[in-house]
Amino acid sequence: MKNFEWVQPATVADAVAALAHPGAMALAGGVDLLDRLKERIAAPSRLVSVRKVAGLDELVVDRNGAKIGANVTLAQIAAHADLRRAFAIVADAASHAATPQLREMATLGGNLAQRPRCWYFRSEEFHCKRKGGSTCFALDGDNSMHAIFGNKLCAAPHPSTVVTALVALGAKVAIAGKTQRDVELAKFFVAPEQDITRETVLEPDDLITHVTIPPIPSTTRTAYTKQVAKQSFDWPLCDVAVALAMDGRVCRQATIVLGAVAPTPMRATAAEKLLANATVDIVAAGRAARAAISSATPLAHNDHKVAILEAVIARTLLAAVGATNPQVASGGQP
Amino acid sequence: MANDDDVPDVPVSGLNRRGFLGITAGGAAATSLLTLSSKASAATPRVLGPNAVPIQLKVNGTTKTVKVEPRTTLVRALREQLGLTGTKVGCDRGACGACTVHVDGAPHLACTTLALEVGDREITTIEGLAKGQTLHPVQQAFIEEDAMQCGFCTPGMLMSCAALLARDKTPDRAAIRTATSGNICRCGTYPKVFTAVMKASGQKPDEGWSLETRTPKETAPPPAGTAWVGIAGGATSAELRTIPENEAKPWPMNAGLAVVGKPVARLDGRAKVTGTATYTADVTLPGMLHAKRVVSPHPHAIVKRVDTKKAEKLLGVKAVFVVKKQEGATLVDPSTEKNGTYPRVRYAGQCIAAVAATTPDIAEEAARLIEVDYDVQPAVTSLDAAMAANAPLVYPARVNMGGSAGGGGAARDLAQKGNLRGPTQQSEGNVDTAMAAAPIKASGTFRTQVQTHSPMETHGIVADWKPDKLTVYVSTQGTATVRDEFATVFDLPKPKVHVICDYMGGGFGAKFGAGHFGIVAAELSRRAKAPVRMVLDRREQHQAVGNRPGTTQDLALGVNRDGSLAAIDLVAHGTGGIATGAGVGWAAARLYPSPAVRARQFDVFTHAGPGAAFRAPGQPQGMFALDQLVDELAEKLGMDPLDYRDKLDVDGIGGGLVQPDRIARKMERRIGAERIGWAKRHAPGAGKGPVKYGVGVGTSMWRRIVDMDSACEVRVGKDGSVQVRSSVMDIGTGTRTVLAMLLAEDFGLEPSQIDVKIGDTQWPIGPSSGGSKTLVGITPAVRQATHEVKQKLFAAVGKKLGVDPKELRIGTGSGRGRVESVKDPSKNLAWKQACATIPTDELAAIAQRPADWQGPPANGYGGVQFAQVAVDVETGVVRVLKIVAVQECGRLINPLAVQSQINGGIIHGISYALFEDRRLDPATGRVLNANLDQYKVLGSKDTPFIDIVLLDQYVGLTNTDAHGIGEPANVATASAVANAVYNAIGVRIRELPMTPRAVLAALRKGKSA
Repeated sequence: MKNFEWVQPATVADAVAALAHPGAMALAGGVDLLDRLKERIAAPSRLVSVRKVAGLDELVVDRNGAKIGANVTLAQIAAHADLRRAFAIVADAASHAATPQLREMATLGGNLAQRPRCWYFRSEEFHCKRKGGSTCFALDGDNSMHAIFGNKLCAAPHPSTVVTALVALGAKVAIAGKTQRDVELAKFFVAPEQDITRETVLEPDDLITHVTIPPIPSTTRTAYTKQVAKQSFDWPLCDVAVALAMDGRVCRQATIVLGAVAPTPMRATAAEKLLANATVDIVAAGRAARAAISSATPLAHNDHKVAILEAVIARTLLAAVGATNPQVASGGQP
Repeated sequence: MANDDDVPDVPVSGLNRRGFLGITAGGAAATSLLTLSSKASAATPRVLGPNAVPIQLKVNGTTKTVKVEPRTTLVRALREQLGLTGTKVGCDRGACGACTVHVDGAPHLACTTLALEVGDREITTIEGLAKGQTLHPVQQAFIEEDAMQCGFCTPGMLMSCAALLARDKTPDRAAIRTATSGNICRCGTYPKVFTAVMKASGQKPDEGWSLETRTPKETAPPPAGTAWVGIAGGATSAELRTIPENEAKPWPMNAGLAVVGKPVARLDGRAKVTGTATYTADVTLPGMLHAKRVVSPHPHAIVKRVDTKKAEKLLGVKAVFVVKKQEGATLVDPSTEKNGTYPRVRYAGQCIAAVAATTPDIAEEAARLIEVDYDVQPAVTSLDAAMAANAPLVYPARVNMGGSAGGGGAARDLAQKGNLRGPTQQSEGNVDTAMAAAPIKASGTFRTQVQTHSPMETHGIVADWKPDKLTVYVSTQGTATVRDEFATVFDLPKPKVHVICDYMGGGFGAKFGAGHFGIVAAELSRRAKAPVRMVLDRREQHQAVGNRPGTTQDLALGVNRDGSLAAIDLVAHGTGGIATGAGVGWAAARLYPSPAVRARQFDVFTHAGPGAAFRAPGQPQGMFALDQLVDELAEKLGMDPLDYRDKLDVDGIGGGLVQPDRIARKMERRIGAERIGWAKRHAPGAGKGPVKYGVGVGTSMWRRIVDMDSACEVRVGKDGSVQVRSSVMDIGTGTRTVLAMLLAEDFGLEPSQIDVKIGDTQWPIGPSSGGSKTLVGITPAVRQATHEVKQKLFAAVGKKLGVDPKELRIGTGSGRGRVESVKDPSKNLAWKQACATIPTDELAAIAQRPADWQGPPANGYGGVQFAQVAVDVETGVVRVLKIVAVQECGRLINPLAVQSQINGGIIHGISYALFEDRRLDPATGRVLNANLDQYKVLGSKDTPFIDIVLLDQYVGLTNTDAHGIGEPANVATASAVANAVYNAIGVRIRELPMTPRAVLAALRKGKSA
């Protein structure tokens, strides 16, 4: 990798100031960034280590919901008892991300800001649209792991699983930069049609400080599924998070978020509409899942992701209302 | 290696040496340390770099000073500056876990951590896990349970396990699987890791991973002039053999032996669990340079210009080399291709040039400064496309390619049309007539993917060219085969090439020769007049140094109404990229006898990296097709698949003796059937619910390969010390330990008393480790050398005591450890006393391997495996739940190590069956998943229960009757899984890997059919 300068500020203000240096980039856990430096698809002049920035490592769960600092690791999120009690799907998603070592290293802020894992994007040898080129190589190439929605310009699926759960809970991202602002996580991500050179609204001198999750009523039922082909460290075929506002056995409002199937985390709005004021049973879940995939635009090598997503949506909905098929829940393991 | 006083004296802005030294006590963090010394305001954080700065690291309880650039990763600081080479680099991308260390007690990846980031944290490496000489309990358990093979992943694996035990005193199976799910073990030793962690935490080991060895009860030596023949559970008999007078006599069966056949913890276990085992990348020589290659990004191109001027000018660059010799096959008539100065590029990743520089970073920069102009040519990167009539040609005319010691290569001067070379043809009887007449047939097209070897240790070499000698430290499976290639390429006498391989981190067939990269490294060393280390990165490993070729097989079986075989017809096309040797083995042609057999196998050239020998070359591919079609035939005939296989396993057409492998397989099917619950299996696809369960059987078969280049030296010192030396190396199978066991058996000692020196061509030349031929080759030589030294020892003792040496023997039973007189017990001597009679400093003998005794040539050997799977028909995800492996591999030497190898073969096989698939970009031929996350290798959570039954077997062909097990353990697995998947879902999957995509597609097709 190319060399760079390194600075480790202790305050948010210092960090933001340091990030204003031309070519500076924030370094958190380094899980995503070091890979990009080594592959030479990132060449910052300066890394601003945010690990010691005060206040970024707090994790509070109370009546107001949860506040998770940007430096909190995925391992901490997975292990936090209060968070698991209040927002189980976030802990679930964090505990299924990557590997134990990477979960110890990866921070929430870094996870939100990570760049796509598309194998064309990750290779210096392909100057793709996201890197300023004129071609999405995946569209006519090997797109077996790629997006099945919103894939006209860029087919790289969104890599974070934690955000799938966070979006379903209506989380917000607090950003420090030229201005301090809160952004709905759902609006934090940028679709290729808006700007193909970025995946988030972050400006170069922006710093994620924390994520907040609003409290959810005790009647809301949630579930999360990460579907992989290989159980030990695999990128998801898809992941699905649902939050169902229940009134007895009837769902008043459904939030269904799909990950790893589009360039950004994606709400399944058609499915959500079908479930409003509906009883969530195997028929309704199946119908909702079919609605969710009806707008899919699979590429030459990834139509399997459509079928898999359909099954996983239905299963996740049923899991949320406690109707899980134990055979499915065990993954077949007797 | 730096220590606390060894402060680098590079200038650092605002920080002089004295200022730094003044505050080294207490291990202050880099930043605070710098802040203090530079008097900077606390509010203005100091910018470091890009030049190197000295910082302190708290490693294993000691504060160490290292000099790092901001880009320096922790693993490089540990390895290159502190000499802590126990922490390994496997992928350098945070995917394999080989570099796992503890940071404040938690497992972190040192390859993905900047050293600057952890100056204020406590780092523990594998070197710090033991407390002095006392191993951590999990290290001890790893040794006792043999939770290691090549040992390269072991330090990282141990760090993950130790971190788990620190926070969970009694982890359950799920917790152990999760904790190790970020550590890839390519040897597939996970079951023993699980067992070791259970043991270290005082828990009862899991019963899901088990071994049962069965051995005949007979303890007596075979009568003179005979050797034992037979198998556990079957008949045994003493068969006449012509055994030369001066050769070591046949042993009794294992029940009559003291050491051989008993589990022995590997002798190098301690070195592997403490991180002191030295692998190639751990070798540092004075003045050593670091090399980096320049490779083509294009799959097919004419190189017009290579300009190295800028690279040569870079400070620290000591040599630049531009490749002149063509890689891959050789054109019979070189004039058929016009290339100008440089070789034709035939795959993306082909080496164009290389540099050697004082640091890896300078080498990398220099490589990027080399300018190459390519005239890009049309390329073809897939097997199907390469077979088309108008496909771009990989070679314009006929080629030949020699094999390496591990296979590859192909017959010379075969026909070549377009990109097709061959066929190699094997034919008996009239297949067309017999097939047409057969009343029942089964046929299908089967496709298998390209699998890369992906050893945890990438290919690497340290080449040290001196005017009088070339010394190479290399990660290899064959020290002598590497020596021979260097001797040939550089026209050196063999003794002028010295090859050393102490430890190596896995090869699986890809590491037999010097390698193109190795020759380039030696060239650089010759030019730079300094040692050069070249270690390929993970991308290069996937691209350029071998793979299991992808294949398409059309296989047809014709049978008579009673099910007996009438005709077998195979047409196979395989692509090893630019290499030959992409066949599918001899499963179809040889496993079951048929009156008419025809196998035509073509190599199809593509613009892709070369294939190489890979664990049972061709056999898993071939068996995947054959085993499925045999199952289909059984179904058509209304027969149980096991009964049908028994019927096909008839003795050779045209008479002949009963083959040991056929006897073995019939027994193995019954044993395995009982253990997997075969009788309870349901009809194909009969399960209810979205997750369907199935059971299937697969067949193994491997050849007994004899390598007569197998020699060793045995030395017994006057002080009682015993040493054995050979160039044979230990690839992780436990060869080192086996050699000690053999000497211990024959001298009445313990294996730990034997000093084993291997992996060095200064010693007598032994076989390479591949083809499951290591023990077939080396063990008879070891026994022979031992026998000869023993005769000399008896002569010395006899002379001293005044007894006839013929009366002397090595004590057995309670007399072990003694030299005894059969006539006069008062003459018995303890081993050391006996050795003290040696009149000179030592006794020594070098022995070549004695030839096989005459006996029935074995058709092969192997075993039978059963798989139980769960298939989710909505997601297409296949999980293997259990494998039962019933195997025979000759006389069992060390069951503990055999179990490890069978576990590994099975885990390799499942990984091949379900996950692994090298993906090439169709347009550019570049490897898209040249890493260890998108190239998917099976991990701890995907490891099924593995139940192994080993049948001790004797064929009476050598003085040890040892066979290998590495390949046969791998052959049956993918086909067993495939048959189990069929049993689960009622639809055949005829392609590998059986990914969700493949399973869902087959289900769709099956439904519409």
